[in-house]
Amino acid sequence: MADLERYPGTPRWVKVFGIFALVLLLLFVVLHLTGRGLGDHRRPGEYAPSGDGPRSPERGH
Amino acid sequence: MTMSSRVRKLALTAHVTASVGWLGAVVGFLALAIAGLTSEQCQTAGAAYLAMKLIIRFVIVPLSLASLVTGLVSSLGTAWGLFRHYWVLAKLLLTILATSLLALHTQPVGRVARLATERMLSSTDLRQVRIQIVADAGAALLVLLVNTTLGVYKPRGMTRYGWRKQHQQKVWQP
Repeated sequence: MADLERYPGTPRWVKVFGIFALVLLLLFVVLHLTGRGLGDHRRPGEYAPSGDGPRSPERGH
Repeated sequence: MTMSSRVRKLALTAHVTASVGWLGAVVGFLALAIAGLTSEQCQTAGAAYLAMKLIIRFVIVPLSLASLVTGLVSSLGTAWGLFRHYWVLAKLLLTILATSLLALHTQPVGRVARLATERMLSSTDLRQVRIQIVADAGAALLVLLVNTTLGVYKPRGMTRYGWRKQHQQKVWQP
């Protein structure tokens, strides 16, 4: 009877789901930090009128 | 607190309507984002971003918030609870994630739309941002499909908290 009242543990689908979500989150953070990510949070003035790079001397060549 | 059957059905209807409406709006948004990125006609691309700005502001954001609120009401007012079952918890986290990302990424759409009102968009204008908008819409669609699947299948599995609560109820109501 005591066994029936014991918590059966986390289901497998939750573990798989959690690992998948964690990998995606890490990927998102890494891409964000390396500047290749989905997010582009520059202010309007930082956008070049044509093309997409910020106005910096290095990109002029 | 458990709602009456009539209120529960009303809350569930509102939740399904908001969630499915949100999914449909994101599909339309994705179609416009792809059209805006790939169209060779400047007018088509410009019109797509202007439409996307309106859709995100007046359809997607209100529906996402409605889905979140009605979901909270439906779960807290029924025996499902908010933290008792893993599928409810997963849906909550995914909805919060999707709503937050949405709020964060409304600005790029506004920027491209603003540029489209100022002059004709060329295929190179803000290209990186336009690619990002397509990727965001695709990711949002994936999250919403997972949410819909979880809501329909309701996979088994109680959290430790839910298990404890259920056990307490059995003890108090033999």
